[in-house]
Amino acid sequence: MSRAGHDVFGQAGALTILAPVEPARAGDLAEVLDGLGTGADSPLARVHGTHFARWVILDQLVYQGPPQRRDVWDAPRLLFTSNFDGSLEDHLRALRIGLGPDGDAIFGHCTGYPGSAGPAAWNAWVRARRVPSALFFAAYGEQTVEEVRINLDLRARLIAFALEAQGLEPAALRARFKEVFPL
Amino acid sequence: MANVEGKATAITVMTPVKPWARPVLELVFWAGRNLTFTLKKLEDLSFIHFARWAIISRFPDGGRGERLYHTYLFFESNFNGSWDEYIDAFSEVVPGRMKAIWDTSYGFPGPTPVEPFKAYIRRNEYVANHYWSAYPGAATSEIISARRVAQALDGFKRRTSGLPPEAFAAAYARLLTDVQADL
Repeated sequence: MSRAGHDVFGQAGALTILAPVEPARAGDLAEVLDGLGTGADSPLARVHGTHFARWVILDQLVYQGPPQRRDVWDAPRLLFTSNFDGSLEDHLRALRIGLGPDGDAIFGHCTGYPGSAGPAAWNAWVRARRVPSALFFAAYGEQTVEEVRINLDLRARLIAFALEAQGLEPAALRARFKEVFPL
Repeated sequence: MANVEGKATAITVMTPVKPWARPVLELVFWAGRNLTFTLKKLEDLSFIHFARWAIISRFPDGGRGERLYHTYLFFESNFNGSWDEYIDAFSEVVPGRMKAIWDTSYGFPGPTPVEPFKAYIRRNEYVANHYWSAYPGAATSEIISARRVAQALDGFKRRTSGLPPEAFAAAYARLLTDVQADL
């Protein structure tokens, strides 16, 4: 199950969760999400191996007008999606542990949420609300988050070095290169 | 704006599928998964990090799922650049693919001219409440370039570790020439 289906591209995986929100609690959930830290302070920064992720409250389906027949949900939905490294099992573990109380404060607005203390119940709750992809695309699905960051750092350092080393004599160039890029 | 994190932008869209169109969507996504040239165009767009489509017949609710009159097409993307540039590129570079996918949905005006297409996407888009990127400062092309630079640098270090200064300096000049397009 972890690598099956159409949610894998290279070593990268896709997770899509759609969970009904307790109808009277959607406004409160929006406040919780709005209050989360961003960037390095986001709870998602604690979920190892996650490239991109989002939470979206879907209040209601959009009606296109006739001839479409209008559909109405029983309850708003909370959408969570992530693009991650490795197996789904590992990602679910990283999510449960990494999000911790923040995850409970968010998903706790959804019907039937069991809390993150029990791994089996948490995993079952997530899997029962999973939506499989029909098509998943990753521009660099062979690279992990760690590799992306290391490569970006190396590139930035080479750019800086190329500017700094202009005009150095060969012996000084070699010595400085070995300082900046040790084997 | 929660749809933006550094250079990355999130888009989340859900549209109702016409009753006859589900097999068409299945075929389109099968082609996307199995005919590599269909995804090559997405790679060529070079600003998409990750994207996914899903066909939803039952909305998960922890049981059998909430079944509505219509099947729904879900789309999400993580890209760099502005929302307008993104839709412009879809309209100009891959109009055939856009038509093949969204012509199955009610209300789709076609990928060209672009303004009605943009209005359609805006009408069916959900704004993220929280969005996170592991490397918000990086564009897709920078990540792909950084990998080539890292590989070139790794090979360079191994090849030049024992070279005398003059030979090292000549090899270093060749390295910069080789990777200059990626810096």
